[in-house]
Amino acid sequence: METFKLKVFRYDPTKDSEPYYQTYELPVEKGMTVLAALFKAKEEQDPTISFRYNCRAAICGSCAVRINGHATLACKVQITHLLQKYDTDTITIDPIGNVKPLKDLIYDMDWLIDKLKKVKPWFIPKEPPPPDGKEYRQDPYDHHRIDFASDCILCASCMSDCNALKANKDFLGPMVHSKAYRFIADTRDGEKEGRFEAILEDLNLEWCVRCVECTTRCPKEVQPYENIIRLRIMAAEHGYKTPGEIHAEIFERDIYNRGLLNEMLLPMRQEGILGAIKRAPFGIKMMLKGKVNYADFFGGHKVKRIEEVRKIYEVAKQKEKEVKIRIPQIMGVIYEDKRRTRKRPNYAETGGNE
Amino acid sequence: MGLRYAFYTGCSAKGVAPELYNSTKLVAEKLGMELIELEAATCCGAGAVQEKDEFLALTINARNLALAEEVDADLLTICNTCTMMLRETKFKLDNDPELKEAVNEVLKEAGLEYKGTSEITHFLWEVIDGVGIDNLKAMVVRPLEEFNIAPFYGCHIIRPPYLIGYEDPDNPKSLEMVIEAVGGKPVDHEAKLACCGFHSFWSAEDKVTLKLTAMDAQSAKKEQADFMVTPCPLCHTQLDAMQEEAEQKIGVKLGIPILHLPQMIGLALGFKPKELGLDKHVISTEEIIRKVA
Repeated sequence: METFKLKVFRYDPTKDSEPYYQTYELPVEKGMTVLAALFKAKEEQDPTISFRYNCRAAICGSCAVRINGHATLACKVQITHLLQKYDTDTITIDPIGNVKPLKDLIYDMDWLIDKLKKVKPWFIPKEPPPPDGKEYRQDPYDHHRIDFASDCILCASCMSDCNALKANKDFLGPMVHSKAYRFIADTRDGEKEGRFEAILEDLNLEWCVRCVECTTRCPKEVQPYENIIRLRIMAAEHGYKTPGEIHAEIFERDIYNRGLLNEMLLPMRQEGILGAIKRAPFGIKMMLKGKVNYADFFGGHKVKRIEEVRKIYEVAKQKEKEVKIRIPQIMGVIYEDKRRTRKRPNYAETGGNE
Repeated sequence: MGLRYAFYTGCSAKGVAPELYNSTKLVAEKLGMELIELEAATCCGAGAVQEKDEFLALTINARNLALAEEVDADLLTICNTCTMMLRETKFKLDNDPELKEAVNEVLKEAGLEYKGTSEITHFLWEVIDGVGIDNLKAMVVRPLEEFNIAPFYGCHIIRPPYLIGYEDPDNPKSLEMVIEAVGGKPVDHEAKLACCGFHSFWSAEDKVTLKLTAMDAQSAKKEQADFMVTPCPLCHTQLDAMQEEAEQKIGVKLGIPILHLPQMIGLALGFKPKELGLDKHVISTEEIIRKVA
């Protein structure tokens, strides 16, 4: 009988000074999920393993764990797939990251709930229900904008693997910002101001490093990273002048004026004269290493056909308000790379040249 | 036709990382890759324009892709974020006919059209799929056998899979394959798939960015890597140019050199460190230069 090893993070603070791993050997069964494997180990080998679960159907969000270092729902992944994917006989299960483990795979949820409370994750209508006694109505496109974001089951897989949260536990995190988006972007909502204040306190929304771990981990297509970007667009439209907004303006102006970013003048334009002074030692270091393009201090060169860029820029700016961009579905979508199927020259025969 | 690409340099290689531009050109030629530089291409928006004007960003990048279509070649990038932004554009336009039409109405004003016939590929992928690992191996004249090399993928060459999808984002192998092909020893380390922090620099330099940079450099140092290698100039700027600032944050001297992917390949192909711009690094590469001499 084919077997595999389930290596489980164990920690009981009432008796263990340090966490440790315990390994269980289990049969490879077709269709067995990680959650089913945890059950089998618990029922047949060690009743002391602790983990959260409920629906076993990727709906309740209780069983998120880290599998070989990456967070997802234990009930959503099959052992046979993992053994193949990692080409291994050992599956390592840790509690999700960026949280405080309580016992084994169970972590402290209060910390996440406290973060969520800051953005008031519930609907606060901006006006009373329609007088005709029917429910609040919404344009289908407006609903589409919050449709995916509404599917969050608070499993915290995104929080687990978030790089910004790893660096700083005060970051609200993708789950919370995404939840804020779900309500701020809701045309029926009346509490935008308060939610914006919460997510922009200390520029929290802009701590996101765009590592896209959240969207990669999310088992429900919520697209937390994309929601953070949409929130930033909305914050700018709402009049917030953040460093991110200033940064975007610099990029836009450079694309219009010269095509490529003028990196040499970026610090000065981003942070003003005081910023330029603060960054001067760094600038000198870069100069000494020959990493500075001196021409850029005087505007630098323009890309070819810049008139074409400017024309496109101007027309796009006029048109953008009337274009309704739909949010694409991404569940199970893998970029279709046509290079893979296209007939390619045989390198050995051509020597790469012909 | 041989290996022929529409070469999209991005801003960094033309600005703060000239050593990447030069080493890419040298190495590509040696490997038999013909690079047709898109001299009319603009910045990809780098995620910044995308946070302000989504339609403008899509249109500008549709123009960049149309430029590659003009020369009838796949577009080759040397930056992770450029790769993601351009592939995001292609993904959105190819999956939304109305959006594509709206973008093309704008491009028409400048006599251009986005058709969707050019793919967006990265130098790393073309070394593997175009040149081929075996062919690369055969061309190595100075195997990097004495080096422990820590791969640092950078986010946007693996995530998100719906835009990138080249390999499994949980367990990528491409960088290790190239490291092995040039005779080096890949070092597995904790931050291999982590973020360098670059994109939150102006908003959270102290709170997030430099902390991540320090963690990454420490991770490679802990596994006794001789240097890190990355396919992304933004990761390079962050990990190389900002490493000293990151060291100050944690009060530990790290000094781990960071090489651009074409620099590492170039050393194995016999190019001199100076030709590859190894002297243009903030973190000293002297130890590497001494060893390969």
